[in-house]
Amino acid sequence: MSDPSREDERELVERAKRDPRQFGTLYDRHFQQIYRFVYSRVREQTAAEDVTSEVFMKALKAMPRYQDTGRPFAAWLYQIAVNAIADRYRSLKTAQPLDDFHDLSVGGPTLEDLAAHRDEVRRIWVLVEALPPQQRTALVLKFQEDMKIEDIAVAMGKSPGAVKLLIHRGVTRLREGADTLRPVE
Amino acid sequence: MSSYRDPELEDVLQDDELRRIASVLSSARAPEPPLDEAFRTGLRRQLMNEAWSMTEGRQSWWRRAFAPPGLAWAGAAAGLVLIMSVVIYTSLQPGGGVQQIIVQSPVDGDRSVALAQPILVKFNQPMDHPSTEAAVQIMPATNVTFGWNENTLAVQPSGGTLAPNTQYHVTIGSGAKTATGKPLSSPQTITFVTTAPPTPAVSPTPRPTPTTALGEKQLTGLAGAHDLVARWSTDSSSIYYLDGRGALNVIPAKGGSVTVIAPDGASSPAVPPTGDRLAYIRNGRVEVLTFASGKTDELTVTPSPTLVDWARDRILWAAADGVYTQTDDRSSHQLAPLPTTGVVAVVSFSPDGSHAAYRQDQNLFLLDLANGKSVQLGTASATFLGWSPGGTALIYGTSDNDVVANLQGVTQSTLPAGEATWSTQDAILIGGDTDILQTRPDGTNLGRISAGTFHFPAWAPNASTFAFVRGGSLWVATAPALPPQPTVLDEASVVVDTFMKARLAGATDQANALLDANGKTAYTSGGLSLLITGDPGFSRYYVLSSEVTGADPDSARFVVRLVLSHGKTDVSDQEEALTLVRDATSKQFVIDQATAGAHRVLGKGAEVVSVDIQTDTVKVTFDSDLDPTTVTDGLTIVDAKGKRLDANSSYANRVVMLTGLNLKDGDAYRLVVLTTIRDVSGQNVAAEYDLDFFGPTAKRHGNHQDSVTPTPAPSPSPSSPSSSQASS
Repeated sequence: MSDPSREDERELVERAKRDPRQFGTLYDRHFQQIYRFVYSRVREQTAAEDVTSEVFMKALKAMPRYQDTGRPFAAWLYQIAVNAIADRYRSLKTAQPLDDFHDLSVGGPTLEDLAAHRDEVRRIWVLVEALPPQQRTALVLKFQEDMKIEDIAVAMGKSPGAVKLLIHRGVTRLREGADTLRPVE
Repeated sequence: MSSYRDPELEDVLQDDELRRIASVLSSARAPEPPLDEAFRTGLRRQLMNEAWSMTEGRQSWWRRAFAPPGLAWAGAAAGLVLIMSVVIYTSLQPGGGVQQIIVQSPVDGDRSVALAQPILVKFNQPMDHPSTEAAVQIMPATNVTFGWNENTLAVQPSGGTLAPNTQYHVTIGSGAKTATGKPLSSPQTITFVTTAPPTPAVSPTPRPTPTTALGEKQLTGLAGAHDLVARWSTDSSSIYYLDGRGALNVIPAKGGSVTVIAPDGASSPAVPPTGDRLAYIRNGRVEVLTFASGKTDELTVTPSPTLVDWARDRILWAAADGVYTQTDDRSSHQLAPLPTTGVVAVVSFSPDGSHAAYRQDQNLFLLDLANGKSVQLGTASATFLGWSPGGTALIYGTSDNDVVANLQGVTQSTLPAGEATWSTQDAILIGGDTDILQTRPDGTNLGRISAGTFHFPAWAPNASTFAFVRGGSLWVATAPALPPQPTVLDEASVVVDTFMKARLAGATDQANALLDANGKTAYTSGGLSLLITGDPGFSRYYVLSSEVTGADPDSARFVVRLVLSHGKTDVSDQEEALTLVRDATSKQFVIDQATAGAHRVLGKGAEVVSVDIQTDTVKVTFDSDLDPTTVTDGLTIVDAKGKRLDANSSYANRVVMLTGLNLKDGDAYRLVVLTTIRDVSGQNVAAEYDLDFFGPTAKRHGNHQDSVTPTPAPSPSPSSPSSSQASS
């Protein structure tokens, strides 16, 4: 039995392919998740707005060429977003690279601050930000956006196996970091 | 904590600690990121505009396909295909052939929409009015009323007009339903840009309708006078003139009885600017008639006067050896000597009393009364014809032409030969035996206004009526108004407009030609760029404020907004402040200074779109309807020291008026719009907006002459003492 929401989405996508003015509904459906994902990667509102604009504008223009491969439409949007984020940080050489947000080995005030909160969830997500970009993207899409491995693979332009590897490495590094940050009672 | 179970990751998360971390990751959401709703809606608008333009592109393909050459052959077949397509498409629609809602507007995509009109939104089927009206959203925030005419919705701004220089986005949300209850499948947005605010038209002085071509009217005979020696009363109601017998008379300009002021031996009548007296020479003395009392005072002046006149309220006269005035103790004081050789005679004093024109034998000279120096006007046999109203220029005749010259005797323009008179509104009449011409002092607007004899024309102060001589009689007539003269701001605006259009077209050479050396520096090393590239791109501009900032040389300051758009959507703007100065040689305005101003993202609260600066009032127009309670404290003017000026603030229809000001000419001020100002949708101004400006300089006409406004004066009472008599 086919998933009614997928059928509905297919219909919306087909309409938008025929008439770009119908793209608004797709935008309304997916704006929040794409913006949230972009923000989680760039951590700055203006940059998140710029990238999100780029994602949807590219998607609109590319709609006539969109091919339904059986994956959710969102996977395609994430794919555009991943590339847009990568492009942005390729072009902004002087900007703070994603990798530099936090270092797992960093101590001092950040450690004290985190220890003071004693909130594992929050600490874990702070640690996620310090992961290498691809690991972080994979973890965000998997655990934050609840995407399937195959959809993440589409979004990231990788094989499902490569995505699994990224997730494994990411979670492993989080475990190491969590050990470091575990508060001393 | 329960262990994480995900079949997809079972082979990846093989130990408990990894699954525990995965569980933490999946169990809690990162906090929602900060989101500006204006961004979400703005991006949607942008996308919809892009989508519409993509659709239009498809339409133009159809238009091309159905162009006339192809139509002849393919018409029937294509029509059949089209009909079939519609039938198939309709049958495929959900709901079994329910017609899709189409929303259109005649202003959609228009970038010069007039301000005084409703926004018409046309639907292709009957709509449910309440839900459709409720689904209308307008950016910038605007109070509106609705009206329906069949399937067309008229969205009328409550203030009566749209805001100037503004991009509007009118969105019909998906809450709109048809009369049968079908909702709009997705919001539809209409986008357009409004024009600049209208500039008040200059209305020429009303003129009486002439009964003949110029309404010529014969007043009285001149008793053999060969030329016209006459002065108008300052209210333009009467003419004082000398007849051929040496009598000084006055006659109403509308016709009537002649009153004799001096029966004989009179010369050189002169009326002061106050219009309350009449001076003339009689029997070697200067006599001054005061109209109010009817009393004539005799001034004993030595040496004997040959010409008398007024310079403002001071009396001047010429004698054989020099030019004189009267001191406070009523004694004579020589202002400047005249040459002692040849036959010398002063023929006229400038209205400000600074210069005198005199003849020496066959030559005409201009004497500077301040330093006694003379310059020759033209060559031999030049004749003096008149002064500009402020006395900063004059006109003299040669055998070939009339010449407009400055006070250094330098020719400013050359006009056709004839007997000339220069009006208070800078129009020159040139009369003669066969016709009369009218022109501006620079030779523009030259044209023959009537055929016939018009000797010795003399403008009345009202710059409408003039006296002249025809057939030995005194006549009056009315000249048609010349087109209004461009003001300094008009002239400078043309340059700004040309400059901005050239940049918009990428014609940097053309734009560069309007910059002087300073201006070029500003656009090469001053942080500004003539050519604006990239995305968003430079799509339009408008003048936010303009003001005259100096008169010597003429200078004007413009603040121009350059609007940057992505697709058809305006996304940001940046300001440039341009200072224009009139070039001494070419007399044309050039851009002398340019500075970059604020760069703002649009769609985040009310924007100032026009600022009109007067000495006592500053009018600030916003693009949005404002919450009136936020206006008074949210908009101020401060002086150069940052001190807030006292002003009365009022608000109506997007316009804030700050009145009761006393802005000083040339002083620096700043208009400050604070973020506390809120539009009617509750959104505050995104960031403080400052506009620097100067106290305005009085506006004047731009043709470098000195027109004056006629001032009303006491009506003369030519009821002369004992000598008065009436003649027909």
